[in-house]
Amino acid sequence: MTLRDVTRKDFTAARRSRGLWAVATALGVLTTFIAFGFSGYRLGPEETVIQLFRTMGGVFGLLLPIVALVASYMAIAGERESGGVKFLLGLPNSRRDVFLGKLVSRLAVVTAGIAFMFATATAMAVARNGALPLGVVAGMFVVSWLYAAVFVAVAVSLSAAVAERSRAIAAAVGSYFGLVLLYVIPGVSVALLVRFVHQTLLGFEPNLDLYNAVLYTSPLIAYRKAMNLVVPDQFERQVLQRASESDTLPAYLGDEVSLLVFAVWLAVPLALGYWRFEGADL
Amino acid sequence: MTAIQTDGLTKRFDDVVAVDDLDLTIEEGEVFGFLGPNGAGKSTTINLLLDFIRPSEGSVEVLGRDAQTNPEAIRERVGVLPEGYGFDDPLTGREYLSWAIRTKRADDDPDELLELVGLADAADRLAGDYSKGMQQRLAFAIALVDDPDLLILDEPSTGLDPNGIQQLRDIVRERAAGGTTVFFSSHILSEVEAVSDRVGVMNEGELVAVDSIEGLRESAGGHATLHLDCAGPPTGLEVESLSGVAGTSIEDHTLVVDCTDPAAKVDVVTHVAARATVTDIRSETVSLETLFNDLTGGGRDEARAVEEVPQ
Repeated sequence: MTLRDVTRKDFTAARRSRGLWAVATALGVLTTFIAFGFSGYRLGPEETVIQLFRTMGGVFGLLLPIVALVASYMAIAGERESGGVKFLLGLPNSRRDVFLGKLVSRLAVVTAGIAFMFATATAMAVARNGALPLGVVAGMFVVSWLYAAVFVAVAVSLSAAVAERSRAIAAAVGSYFGLVLLYVIPGVSVALLVRFVHQTLLGFEPNLDLYNAVLYTSPLIAYRKAMNLVVPDQFERQVLQRASESDTLPAYLGDEVSLLVFAVWLAVPLALGYWRFEGADL
Repeated sequence: MTAIQTDGLTKRFDDVVAVDDLDLTIEEGEVFGFLGPNGAGKSTTINLLLDFIRPSEGSVEVLGRDAQTNPEAIRERVGVLPEGYGFDDPLTGREYLSWAIRTKRADDDPDELLELVGLADAADRLAGDYSKGMQQRLAFAIALVDDPDLLILDEPSTGLDPNGIQQLRDIVRERAAGGTTVFFSSHILSEVEAVSDRVGVMNEGELVAVDSIEGLRESAGGHATLHLDCAGPPTGLEVESLSGVAGTSIEDHTLVVDCTDPAAKVDVVTHVAARATVTDIRSETVSLETLFNDLTGGGRDEARAVEEVPQ
């Protein structure tokens, strides 16, 4: 088992990448500014900080996938294109060691990035408001990490399935569109498409729960729901549309299901990516 | 004990057959030169040995193990100098080598190995900034880690200067003397000739000859070419009628005679000298080269590259 050697080499290389440090610095500055400029309307210090992280979650929803995809899309495709994989596999490493080693290393890089963003935001928030709702911050960190981990898994898996840089880029951009943007752009969203197919093409009665269930397959929607799990009740958001205020969502649309959505998005791409890499001619 | 054994090994890429029904056995302790023009299927064969790619048909065994079942166990005992590699991580030469040593759980001293391949002064520079020849030296050093039982070297002299090629040969001979099996590919005959116990010639995916250098020489026969520069045009000399002469041609004042038997050369010279004024004589014994060209398609472009590529 030489997974650790693969991870260590990859992480050392990542640590020396100037581009990565530049991105991390930019992200830290960004979260610092958000934390600096944020003021809650008629809220106490603690509530202000919670509200700040809630808002930050909205930014992270679009930002973390980019961070994770950029940090991971070349993980294996890059080695295949450059020929680095010939050394990796000329030494006593299995393909599994290479795949998992790359995954662990890129997860570590992304974890460090998120930790840095949280550290800068928290420091600024505490300095400005004098309150630290540790439970909420820690909870937000965990769900944000899970959300980013989904995209690391997706990117490493796609990276394992393709042999060239150009395809890896296309796959990463495509997954950002398919998993994030298509769920938020008004006019071209998945929600409208499903509604159109179901009602207009197939002629069914409107079924809000069905549309919600389709929406819920997106890691982004799952992230928004998962945030409800870690903030106090008054800060929870609805995320999925309901027929009326009094209407309650079915259990399969509950906030907890978001963890299942994450789990599926972690497991399925990794399994497929590994399967493709294991069988590939390198 | 066999180091490498392939049975009916075949690899197809789409509709191209890169390796066609290859049966090859390399015994432990021998230095085997794998010869052939570019695109003959040498690297594909090596990639199959290392499980970088998977066979379409047939099987590969390396050091008694199936190449696909447990490639890591094979990689423990094999040193690889691949082709088409890249040092793209921002690591120094010493760090790359240390990584290889750690991964092999070996106890080599990275500086000793760097010294051996002539990179001691560049140990702390990024491997990605090395010249092609220096990268080749580093890749060779990585292959030498943990004194492997089998060295698989794909075009090892690529990018090396004459001094580097000499060092490479010395190290290969030294390791072979210590019992290491060496399997190396090349498109340069002289290089293979210099170190190999046995040679396999590949052409268009097929193994067209396997023999020792001496064996190959014998099967090439005593083919020799004689160039006779004459004072006037050497016409009407009837050299063809002599026994042992396969053919003649005339280029200006030069008579070129292809002899199948070396003994015929003297007869040719005596015959011509009696009938014309000979100003110079050159004799070429390009037997192996001629054989190699015959085996790999003679006058085709890729075969010619064998003679012309300066290495």
